[in-house]
Amino acid sequence: MKRVLFILSIVLLLCSFTTENTVLIPSGEKLVYSGSYNMSGLMTQIAQVTMSTETVATAKNSYLHLNCELATFSKYDKFFKIRDTYESYVNPTTLKPSLYKRSINEGGYTKKEKYTFKDNKVTSVAQKRNKPETTKSFSIGASTQDVVSLLYKVRAIDFTKFTAGQTKSFTIVFDEKEIPVTLKHLGSETVSAGNLGSKMCYKLSIGAKTNVLKGTDKNLIWLTADAKKVPALMKFSIPVGTGQLALTSATGI
Amino acid sequence: MRKTFFILSVIFVLISITFSILPLDTLALLPIGIGLICIFIAFKKSDVSQRKVLKWFFAITYICGLFVLGKTYLVKDEVAVDTTFEQQKIEAQQEAKKDLEELEGIE
Repeated sequence: MKRVLFILSIVLLLCSFTTENTVLIPSGEKLVYSGSYNMSGLMTQIAQVTMSTETVATAKNSYLHLNCELATFSKYDKFFKIRDTYESYVNPTTLKPSLYKRSINEGGYTKKEKYTFKDNKVTSVAQKRNKPETTKSFSIGASTQDVVSLLYKVRAIDFTKFTAGQTKSFTIVFDEKEIPVTLKHLGSETVSAGNLGSKMCYKLSIGAKTNVLKGTDKNLIWLTADAKKVPALMKFSIPVGTGQLALTSATGI
Repeated sequence: MRKTFFILSVIFVLISITFSILPLDTLALLPIGIGLICIFIAFKKSDVSQRKVLKWFFAITYICGLFVLGKTYLVKDEVAVDTTFEQQKIEAQQEAKKDLEELEGIE
């Protein structure tokens, strides 16, 4: 009986490692998206978004570097060149961020942000073009993420247990303040997922109490309904219009 | 009536040329389409002797349409190799590694 209980407890212990707190996002994963913007009712491809992961080791620790970069296609560079990067250095197992960096270069407008996470405190250093560097320290909740790591954390949720309309709340730190984010499961749909072919996906709506996102259920993400939960399609509605990111290539998943 | 559509034709031919040159993709088809409709109406309302200029307008707008469609389907969308950006990324990663080590030092 003791042996049975022991084996059972081991099994339960192993099962507990597959909960949301333990996520295994592979290092070397590269997801390439084609970014389109709605111009007078027509979706026009304007940029490429690349989401990649790699392991970065320091003398003491190993981190997972989550990198999202946006670059306009060469034909737009002469008119409005965009080179944005959003990076997060996280614990490879829990995806808890240690460092978040944002570098924006949009048609000459530049902005750099760096957030260091220490316990429940964030120290941010921000610099806008031609303006002096500002430093700010503020407290955050224990489960507060940055926007990049949240995108990866969402992939760890077991949506098989979700029903349509069910929500899950998160908190992110963006523009030097905490913002509540709600994720709503809207059901399942089949969408094109680039080189992965057509895939059955979980359709999710992202809502945030911020001016950056507009409308209800207008900011959507489709995650492949398999173990990888690759974001296949993302639709967004922002104050200056609407657009979408469609997966074109997924490697190292 | 003829004069109105002739003026509209001129305006939309100019917009079509501008939009075709700019990287506006299929958005350029909008003034091209409207331009072709205006040219057609102006053409129908004109006498045979007045149609020569409109024929030229039609040819220009038609070429603009072909040019836009050619760009859309034949020119591949790609990101240019940006050495400055690549260098910035390498520097940013080195700086991040230093920041992480500093953070570990505090712990």
